[in-house]
Amino acid sequence: MSPKSEFNRRNFIKGAAVLGAAPIFSGAKMVGGSMAQQTEQSQEVPSGVVPKKPLGKTGVQVSAMGLGGYHLGSAETDQAATEIVAKALDHGVTFFDNAWEYHDGLSEERVGKALKGKRDQAFVMTKVCTHGRDKKIAMRMLEESLRRLQTDHLDLWQIHEVVYDNDPDLIFALNGAAEALLAAKQQGKVRFIGFTGHKDPEIHLKMLSHDFPFDTVQMPLNCCDATFRSFETHVLPEATRRGIAALGMKSLGGSGELVRHGAVTPEQGLRYAMSLPVATTISGVDSMQVLDQNLKVAVNFEPLDAAAMKSLREQCRFLASDGRLELFKMTTKYDGKVGREQHHFPTTQELPI
Amino acid sequence: MPQTSAGIIPLRKFGRHDAQISALGFGGHHLGDAPDEKTAVEIVHQAVDGGITFYDNCWEYRMGKTEVWMGAGLKGRREKVFLMTKTCPHGRDGSLALQMLEESLRRLQTDHLDLWQVHGMAFDNDADLFIRAGGAAEALTKAKKDGKVRFVGFTGHQNPKVHLAMLNTGFPFDAVQMPLNAFDASFRSFEQQVLPELTKRGIAVLGMKPLNGHGDAIKNGVITAEEALRYAMSLPVATTITGIDSLEILHQNLQIAQNFTPMSESEMNALRERCKPDAADGRYELYKLSLKFDNPESRLAHGFPLDTQQSEVKDMLGATQNTGHPFPEKQF
Repeated sequence: MSPKSEFNRRNFIKGAAVLGAAPIFSGAKMVGGSMAQQTEQSQEVPSGVVPKKPLGKTGVQVSAMGLGGYHLGSAETDQAATEIVAKALDHGVTFFDNAWEYHDGLSEERVGKALKGKRDQAFVMTKVCTHGRDKKIAMRMLEESLRRLQTDHLDLWQIHEVVYDNDPDLIFALNGAAEALLAAKQQGKVRFIGFTGHKDPEIHLKMLSHDFPFDTVQMPLNCCDATFRSFETHVLPEATRRGIAALGMKSLGGSGELVRHGAVTPEQGLRYAMSLPVATTISGVDSMQVLDQNLKVAVNFEPLDAAAMKSLREQCRFLASDGRLELFKMTTKYDGKVGREQHHFPTTQELPI
Repeated sequence: MPQTSAGIIPLRKFGRHDAQISALGFGGHHLGDAPDEKTAVEIVHQAVDGGITFYDNCWEYRMGKTEVWMGAGLKGRREKVFLMTKTCPHGRDGSLALQMLEESLRRLQTDHLDLWQVHGMAFDNDADLFIRAGGAAEALTKAKKDGKVRFVGFTGHQNPKVHLAMLNTGFPFDAVQMPLNAFDASFRSFEQQVLPELTKRGIAVLGMKPLNGHGDAIKNGVITAEEALRYAMSLPVATTITGIDSLEILHQNLQIAQNFTPMSESEMNALRERCKPDAADGRYELYKLSLKFDNPESRLAHGFPLDTQQSEVKDMLGATQNTGHPFPEKQF
């Protein structure tokens, strides 16, 4: 599905009504659609490994593609998740993403099980989900994450989902989550620390403005982001300037939106994100098909040149311009249950968008 | 009893123009919650008698029901009021906006509007779509030239930056509508970012959502209805539009507006400070953070998903004249 290069504004506006009507008729198909369905039947993953890149100033190297933990919790069985992790490791994927609250702990448990006996081959990250609560709760979550992940230390521990305007104030309040990060590092339970969020570049910049010794910062980076409330434009250069490793996520929009709505092919989307100055691009994998699709891009990966990057940004510009493919910036759609509770927001059922 | 209003709702200047409008405006959306047309007509009659001259409505509210009911209520009273409705192209062509105008005039049983506004600026590219060749800006200009509308403006509740982008198109707006309340004052604030710019340009400021659009802050005891309404009306605005769905709410609002005395600056500051902790994450201003409070029409025009559990979406999809397309497709 190669997007139309002759997209002009008039076509875009006419097209809007057509696109708009689609969810009414094909809602089930759209929701259930997996990214892999959009690609040709998978060929063999080439031999070779996913290249490594430096993780900011830490001196550590991580794989240029990371395995997203949320989708691992959506894999059909524990066994399927174990096989995905094993195959990813075999092809040089070392970076494993997770969060304390993903699938009420299932995602962490699955990675813990799958990495049993292979812990030293992996760079294990998980996230703490205080959503404004204090250090004590953060430390309790850390112990629980370590237990589920069957390890005595994390390679990276990040503050999850910094998406509410007052989150930076709550995190840096006396006895807040920032203190927990330092304490955990001091105790040797985590090697590196960072934060994540998908909402607003200004919130990320506010976090960075505290001059806290973050090692990493995670953010959405994709061809649409480049022209809409852009983390690439506003946050990535600031992270780079500070020597903080950038971790990209939502390379295809979070659930393949960029692909499903015809902005890019999976390969274009992944290649774009991986070609940015990031340490890794975290991509969610819930089936072997999706893993193969990702590995075909990531194994022996060579970055795109500036002209190719520019042309992909242009290709996405019109669909990007109102945020329809990046709802996580526009609506509450991607905001998790625990964060909503802590901020006294309606539930996903009450406020789905 | 305070002397300032002497039992009459104060009139205020409509921006740089000589027209005057009542400091409290009648929000049209909630009129659709009245049990039937007869009740709605009675509410409108009593509102006019009570001194409300500013009437808000919108082409897409309740699929036209609120314009029809308001038109029935204003029959024989049209010359006593300043009537506004909104057009809903949501980025689509100006010609569509003009077709909506004809339908609004018919429903409202009038040959002209006092104010016609472009509804629901919400998206980052809405200003570009508005000002483009063939866009809604051309419709506003034409309607004014043809004498079908006296003044023009735009509305939106999402993002002060979108409002500023609209102003930066350079289009000569007469009015701008936006949420103004004690929570907005310290969260993604229209009061801080947009209001001073409008004042500078002589554009009439129409405040809305004085009770935050949904009364949760009042229910949770953070603020009282009277404090909230007085705060909004004490800002430098031409009117404060509030939804009226029953005689009881009308009487409550008339009572406040007829006895209105502006808050002092220190009272306003104290209220802002009190609301600040709860305002900080937007929990009481979800219309700035979610699309749920935008009309489904707007989402459809922009290719956004619908929430099929939402009552307005159910109305839209359940309507007999509807084929599943946005409803103007069928009519125009």
